[in-house]
Amino acid sequence: MLFNSLPFLIFLPTVVLLYYLLPHRTRWILLLAASYIFYGYWKVEYLSLILASTTVDYFVARYIHATPSRLHKRMGLAVSLITNLGLLAFFKYSGWFIEDVLDPVVGLTDGQLDSFRKAWDFLLPVGISFYTFQTLGYTIDVYFGKAVPEKNPLKFALFVSYFPQLVAGPIERFSHLHQQLFQRVSFEYANLQQGGRLILYGLFIKMCVADNVSPIVDQIFGHSAEADGIQLAAGMLLFGLQIYSDFHGYSLIAIGTAKLLGVNLMDNFNAPYTSLSIREFWGRWHISLSTWFRDYLFIPLGGSKAGMTKLAINILIVFLVSGLWHGANWTFVVWGAMHGLAYLAERWLFPMRTKSRVGSALKWIWTMVIVFFAWIFFRSESVAHGTDYIMQMLQNTGDGLTIEWDPFLASIVGIFILSDLLFRNRSIHVWLESTSTLIRWSVYALLLFFITGFAGTVQHPFIYFQF
Amino acid sequence: MKVLIKGIWLLLTLLLLAGIYPKHAYEQFVAEHADQYLQVQKIKDCDVIYLSASSNFASGLARETDPRKISQMIADHFPALQFEAINKPASHAGIHVNLLEMFRENAEAETFIVTMNLRSFGPDWIYSELETPLQQSTLFYNNRLPLINRALVSLRAYDDQSTEERHAQRKSAWADDPLPFDPPQDNVTDWCAVEKWGDWRNPKRQLADQFIKQYGFVLDASNPRVKDFDRMSAMAEEEGWTMVFNILAENLETADSLVGKDLTSLMRRNTQWLVDRYEEKGHELVNNLEQVSHAHFTDKDFPTEHYDDIGRRIIADNVAEGLARALAQKNSKNDN
Repeated sequence: MLFNSLPFLIFLPTVVLLYYLLPHRTRWILLLAASYIFYGYWKVEYLSLILASTTVDYFVARYIHATPSRLHKRMGLAVSLITNLGLLAFFKYSGWFIEDVLDPVVGLTDGQLDSFRKAWDFLLPVGISFYTFQTLGYTIDVYFGKAVPEKNPLKFALFVSYFPQLVAGPIERFSHLHQQLFQRVSFEYANLQQGGRLILYGLFIKMCVADNVSPIVDQIFGHSAEADGIQLAAGMLLFGLQIYSDFHGYSLIAIGTAKLLGVNLMDNFNAPYTSLSIREFWGRWHISLSTWFRDYLFIPLGGSKAGMTKLAINILIVFLVSGLWHGANWTFVVWGAMHGLAYLAERWLFPMRTKSRVGSALKWIWTMVIVFFAWIFFRSESVAHGTDYIMQMLQNTGDGLTIEWDPFLASIVGIFILSDLLFRNRSIHVWLESTSTLIRWSVYALLLFFITGFAGTVQHPFIYFQF
Repeated sequence: MKVLIKGIWLLLTLLLLAGIYPKHAYEQFVAEHADQYLQVQKIKDCDVIYLSASSNFASGLARETDPRKISQMIADHFPALQFEAINKPASHAGIHVNLLEMFRENAEAETFIVTMNLRSFGPDWIYSELETPLQQSTLFYNNRLPLINRALVSLRAYDDQSTEERHAQRKSAWADDPLPFDPPQDNVTDWCAVEKWGDWRNPKRQLADQFIKQYGFVLDASNPRVKDFDRMSAMAEEEGWTMVFNILAENLETADSLVGKDLTSLMRRNTQWLVDRYEEKGHELVNNLEQVSHAHFTDKDFPTEHYDDIGRRIIADNVAEGLARALAQKNSKNDN
């Protein structure tokens, strides 16, 4: 079920209403049922995957907690890692591995490739990268003694499948989400107001900004060989805007939805394009994922306490894995590598400690150049496509495409960019709360009007669903 | 009370914006996404409406001496009647039935000619990626408030499936829907896998496979397009409309030479099934299936219902005969 769909518009108020009508002790059962309906609505068959992941991690975590043997604990953790990463590998990476890694190395025949393509021709289960990471984080927490495993398998199933953040995050920690799911929540108008506001603004930036920018980005990236330098540069900038508004919008809707049910999910974005370094960017972009990698990969690898070479290798590993997490293609590896190398360069080659205005401006330019050039690879079909795109953009050799720019939609995009710059470190909903009732409700009406009358009509859901 | 005032303010602001909306944005949006709606809106004082996909259009080939559409050629036969055509590439009965609903409300015409395109009953067309924008366009075929229609598009209140999902359904239909032949011809996938004309790199093999994929199905009442025609039939009965179903010509010569008799027999069998079903319901059926020879099909590298001027003329003459019969029958009923 998509957030920006009619079924969800019916589903959400129904769940919220029932939630507050039901006695406290049965509410979690409603949430579990709702979560499975939410996920199964997309494709019932793939419920089995989330069930498999849940079952394995439920038993493994209890086993790890109960056994005194260090070896057995490790074996338990290995089972969880193999199951979750195995699911990911099978559904997400096997096709890429055979076609782009194995085939170039060993040289498969046409027949072998053909039969492989037929066998692997299935749809990637939505959100598999998110819920496998969430449940994996839980097992690792139990392994390191940071969490006590849940005894009730159904309650654990709710933690894994909690519908507001199930398919595209924020990836939550057990310690943060679990107790909130079962706490006594009384109906509060403030929750309704805040949640509703986040959902409204999230829908606006997803449907009016991301979905309206998307066709132009598709056109430029799809015909990059014919586009001129300015169009290619615009395509790069607009993709950066599209992916941000798409994912940020989704996250706001997720956070708002949970808020309606009295649950606070972690923030996922914080004006990332105002960052003055790659390090800062990763503290503002997809925060739940970057902190996940920090806690469950970077620190176990040795963290910042390792020597310089080891630390550099660890940082690169984290960025390369993060790139691969986003998709099964070399383009994502290049994207991750660019961020990793820029991060290392900032740290050792030219640490920019200046606080002057000029210095800050230079730092910002440096960061944005890396971030936006890296987006080209993120969006490209292949590394060669990305490289050609950059070369052509810099050399300005294309004849130019005929692109229809709608000035009205451009102004909506402009409003969003301005508001994001304006509200740096301060959410728009906090600002709205401080305004007069008249202004606030007029803004709501305007947002509703834009959502209903000017939403994009692209045929793809949230970009991050594919990850 | 405070909440009520806020709600009223929200509603008033929205109503004001909804009032401004249609002139500035809606018309342009409809023109881009549901041009058939505008085609319907333009129709005034019309006797016969011709609904079809791209088969109505002229091919644009230089050798053509008559550049007119099939519908215009039919109109030649009836100078006293006012004809209009509503066409959109890839359109099918599922879309046409929604357009007919609009005529039900507006009552501009009482006689309809609707094309029955045999391929449109098959999985390749049913699960085509073109289906999503077509389904989206159906949201506009009504008299709701513009902003409501637009909101329903924004909220994807239509059959909004991704290309991947549709292709997966198509693939499964080709693999699972049984055909009335012995293996390996008992399903489309296995039939296509049979070696004919060398391997898949041979263009003849590719075209043969396309013919199997387009026409390899068995019609029954559960077919979604049949259900659409059933709805049309029921609607015609309720409204007292005259319906002429125009079964378009297919390239049986190429189907026979590339694949063989099994496929052509299946095409004839499905066509006959349609004739029997809708004649029994009292409609005029014009069976053009084998009326146009290979030479008059303009697309040679894919099965289509695109004809040159001679092919279009043949279809038009046959439909005109059928329409004359249907109108005569209607008049005699009225006289009685």
